[in-house]
Amino acid sequence: MINVKNLYKDFGKCRVIDALSCDIKDNECVVVIGPSGSGKSTFLRCLNSLEEPTYGEIWFDGKMLTPPDPYLHPDIIKASNTYKKLTSGNTDSEDAVAKIKKEDLLKRHEGREYASLLKKFDAENHLDINIARQRMGMVFQHFNLFNNLTVMDNLTLAPVKLKLKTKEQAESKAMELLERIGLPEKKDEYPSKLSGGQKQRIAIIRALCMEPEVMLFDEPTSALDPEMVGEVLDVMKSLAKTGMTMICVTHEMGFAREVADRVLFMDSGKILEEGTPEEIFQNPKSERLKSFLAKVF
Amino acid sequence: MDFFEKIASLFTNEKYMQIIWKGFTTTIYISLGAMVLGLVLGTLVALVGLSKKSKIMVIPKAICKVYVTVIRGTPMALQLFIMAYVVFAIRNFPQILTAIIAFGVNSGAYVSENIRAGILSVDIGQTEAGRALGLSNATTMLHIVIPQAIKNVIPAIGNELIALIKETSIVSMIGMFDLTNAAKIIGSGQNMASYLIPMTVVALFYLAIVYLLTLVIKIIEKRLRASDKR
Repeated sequence: MINVKNLYKDFGKCRVIDALSCDIKDNECVVVIGPSGSGKSTFLRCLNSLEEPTYGEIWFDGKMLTPPDPYLHPDIIKASNTYKKLTSGNTDSEDAVAKIKKEDLLKRHEGREYASLLKKFDAENHLDINIARQRMGMVFQHFNLFNNLTVMDNLTLAPVKLKLKTKEQAESKAMELLERIGLPEKKDEYPSKLSGGQKQRIAIIRALCMEPEVMLFDEPTSALDPEMVGEVLDVMKSLAKTGMTMICVTHEMGFAREVADRVLFMDSGKILEEGTPEEIFQNPKSERLKSFLAKVF
Repeated sequence: MDFFEKIASLFTNEKYMQIIWKGFTTTIYISLGAMVLGLVLGTLVALVGLSKKSKIMVIPKAICKVYVTVIRGTPMALQLFIMAYVVFAIRNFPQILTAIIAFGVNSGAYVSENIRAGILSVDIGQTEAGRALGLSNATTMLHIVIPQAIKNVIPAIGNELIALIKETSIVSMIGMFDLTNAAKIIGSGQNMASYLIPMTVVALFYLAIVYLLTLVIKIIEKRLRASDKR
């Protein structure tokens, strides 16, 4: 479903994501854990291009939603002027490719052949980011419900404006989802009148109104009172049971244990360890994960 | 006659009232025209200023920056003179248009800064949530960010409009016949021979206009605050 290829993200001089690759399969629930500042949220935001990766590619359902990264394609590197200069006419030199990759030697302009190859690859595989985002729901730490719209308008704005549904269809879908989370009477309220837990549950179904194929959760319970965490997690659990592909960044270890098919442990921009919840929580291998778990529990 | 009787007599004198009415309409026309021009111009400049950096936008962005800097950095009276005696020094060019453009262009620079601040004051999460649903940047702006920004900028824009109305009093410097000039003409007439009375009356007119505008702004603000707890 989602393939992350050699992802890097720099904020200025600070490297937040460092050569991260992973694949997320259909109907899989992946939970990402790790200490603060380990790049979990940035990783999630890169998946739907809210942050633009510095290097690397993100593929969604066989299509690429980032610009192509020349470093991932040796044939494109070989078309560059830098490569030609390095090998001085010699056509096949894996060493030169490796050197260019390692030392980040490609410049913005690398000759016409290079540019046309890059363009061709992009044209063949490109997926418009707005289309991709329609198929990927995202839930934020701070809910981000639209403050100027009622709950119903929050739920129906995107499907109606994007002409995916008529207003009536969108409203009946929204009512169905509101009933599922037990808040049908809130449909005409403004977000400022809702509690945190209610806001977050509505934010989840706002994403579901688009009938996405993947749901991304960015610490959905971190800004909530302990009392309200449960109600939000319940909605997420029932969503996971329906077989929705989910990627959750969270500090809720209980949730990870119960629902995750796979847990990724991230630290300093890398995936240090991954495995089933049993493997991660019962038999952590790396020292870093052991010390992290010792602090959390 | 005491002071209040004199004021009342001015209101009942048809000739004086005609002069004041003529000045009043001029002031209103200039203010309304300049308000509309200023709001449109200000919104455009703010949107260009906040647009993403790209090759096509480099020049428009630079123009907007220069525009705001120059207009805010030079006196209004000077801008009015330049408009009247340089830019629109065309025979038979209606003076009222000159004034509307001069004040509109001036107001636009201030309004653009207000609107820019208003858009920036909307939480970035609102934009992100819109974009994450697959909405385009334009749709997100139009349906989510701008409605919230407007609510935030109404008080500041109101301030700017009030200042604009009062600032139009300097059009007498290019020989236009507005409210302030009407007071001057009545006061210098032989029958009145006093500036106090007409100036006071005209002050009341300005006060009334500004007060009405304040009420309108309050009503708009109240409507827009429907989605707030406050």
